[in-house]
Amino acid sequence: MATEPGGRHRVVTATAAVGILLLTVPLAVTDDYYLHVLIATLYFAYMASAWNIVCGYTGQLSLGHSALSGIGGYISTLLLINAGLSPWIGMFVGALWATVVGVLVGWPCFRLRGPYFALTTIAFAEILRIWTENTEEIFGIELRGAQGLSVPLKGHVPTLFQFDGKVPYYYIILAMLVAVMAITWWMERSRMGFYLKAIRADQDGAEALGVNSARYLLSAMAVSSFLTALGGSFYAQYFRYINPERNMGLDFSIELALMGIVGGQGTVVGPILGAFLLTPAGEITRATLGGKFPGLHIVIYGLVLILAMLFLPKGLIQPLRRLVARRPAASGAVAPQTKA
Amino acid sequence: MPLLEVASISKSFGGNQAVKSLSFTLETGEILGLIGPNGAGKTTAFNMIAGYFPPDTGEVRFKGENIAGLRAWDISHRKIARTFQLSKPFGDLTVLENVMVGGFHHQGSRAAARRKAEEVLAFVGMAAQAGIEAHNLTVVDRKRLELARCLATDPELLLLDEVVAGATPSEAVAMMEMIRKIRDMGITIIMVEHVMRVVMGLSHRVLVLHHGETIAVGDPQTVSRDPVVLKAYLGARYAHA
Repeated sequence: MATEPGGRHRVVTATAAVGILLLTVPLAVTDDYYLHVLIATLYFAYMASAWNIVCGYTGQLSLGHSALSGIGGYISTLLLINAGLSPWIGMFVGALWATVVGVLVGWPCFRLRGPYFALTTIAFAEILRIWTENTEEIFGIELRGAQGLSVPLKGHVPTLFQFDGKVPYYYIILAMLVAVMAITWWMERSRMGFYLKAIRADQDGAEALGVNSARYLLSAMAVSSFLTALGGSFYAQYFRYINPERNMGLDFSIELALMGIVGGQGTVVGPILGAFLLTPAGEITRATLGGKFPGLHIVIYGLVLILAMLFLPKGLIQPLRRLVARRPAASGAVAPQTKA
Repeated sequence: MPLLEVASISKSFGGNQAVKSLSFTLETGEILGLIGPNGAGKTTAFNMIAGYFPPDTGEVRFKGENIAGLRAWDISHRKIARTFQLSKPFGDLTVLENVMVGGFHHQGSRAAARRKAEEVLAFVGMAAQAGIEAHNLTVVDRKRLELARCLATDPELLLLDEVVAGATPSEAVAMMEMIRKIRDMGITIIMVEHVMRVVMGLSHRVLVLHHGETIAVGDPQTVSRDPVVLKAYLGARYAHA
């Protein structure tokens, strides 16, 4: 969106402030639990941003991104266990496979109009989850079915993605989040971003202007799949454990979609806002209420969702946008375009 | 060689023959008016030329190449642009960004697309509205925006589907002026239109469709006096008026 000079200045200042805050937080937060909540929040912000690249910008709803995350996590972990390959390399192998899978799933769907993509992604992810849960071994490689895989502990070996304490993981996921934001920001301003938003608004109209919609949807899906799988590898290495239910389950896919939608899909910052609202809300209510009042944390989570959708249907990004667009009181900045 | 040569294209939907063996040729720089009562097959003919669905039979030759059956975006890249009967702007994009989507047609660079879009917006007289989100536009401005989007792709042939529908008389006059200016830029035009004053005032030739069949083709004066055309439009009683 066209922001006038005053707005851009404000965005730069705000970004710098948030950046410094995020960089220094581990110095102040020494409690492992709160650091964990922060890492989980950044992780979800990263995953929701990766989801947003295809779903937010094109309006195609994927409820199967967990499968892509699972592919990333499983492949990097299996390569470490069976071949001793560092997850730093394994995560890219996993991401490439996830890209191939994502494109194959998108291929037929993007040639059709309607809810086929959403349905296919759900079906695909569920099939993959159920298959993994029931497969102990394939081609001599142990998958261990529903039990999941543990990442063998090697101690503090940075080259193998293993660190003492949580702080290094915090900086890794922060760097990944910054990278996905940069990619989204760059894409939004490029031809691809314009085309994706045109497809979302009116596919026929976009095609009349020379946009090969299937090709651009697939490109977005490929980028999104790649990034999602990288996040899945991070998750596996951070928790040192993955299983089909947590890493490939429908719940996880829905959570990503909710964060994107509640925060504001099709924007750089929206999904991150969603993650920063919903992840701590979920974590903290679960930790404080989960024991005493089982299920209450889900009720509260649901209430937060309902309120967000009721009052900010375009996402949490909405009031923030207005704040940015407002003209600074005493500067010579050009007045923003008034909306008729 | 004519710019466009439509050779007996037909289309039926189930048992309904929407267009029956439509043929015409179009020279560079011409404006052809496509008229006919509702359901005559005008928009279907557009959709076949612009690649929204393939004709059942026949060929559409653009600069000698058969483009029938090509997809919409491929046809756009052969420099044919179209507007839609119901203009739907990319609502959450600004007017400028809408036109930039067309401006990215030939060049990947954002700056070049923006330059192209600004140039076209100035041409259609919407430069002042560049920063407005497109869903705020009036019906007539939406039509102008759609025209601007098309022009940003640098078309050689422009298919206009009812661009003055919903306009006041003075707005219609302004739109006619614009269409003339576009023709003067060397862009060939086929227009589907219901407002007779506009079609008759702009077209070099008029083709009349009725129930999917071509019932008359010729210069506007001749066609408007053709008894078959009058009968189709006004009913048998008026055929001799």
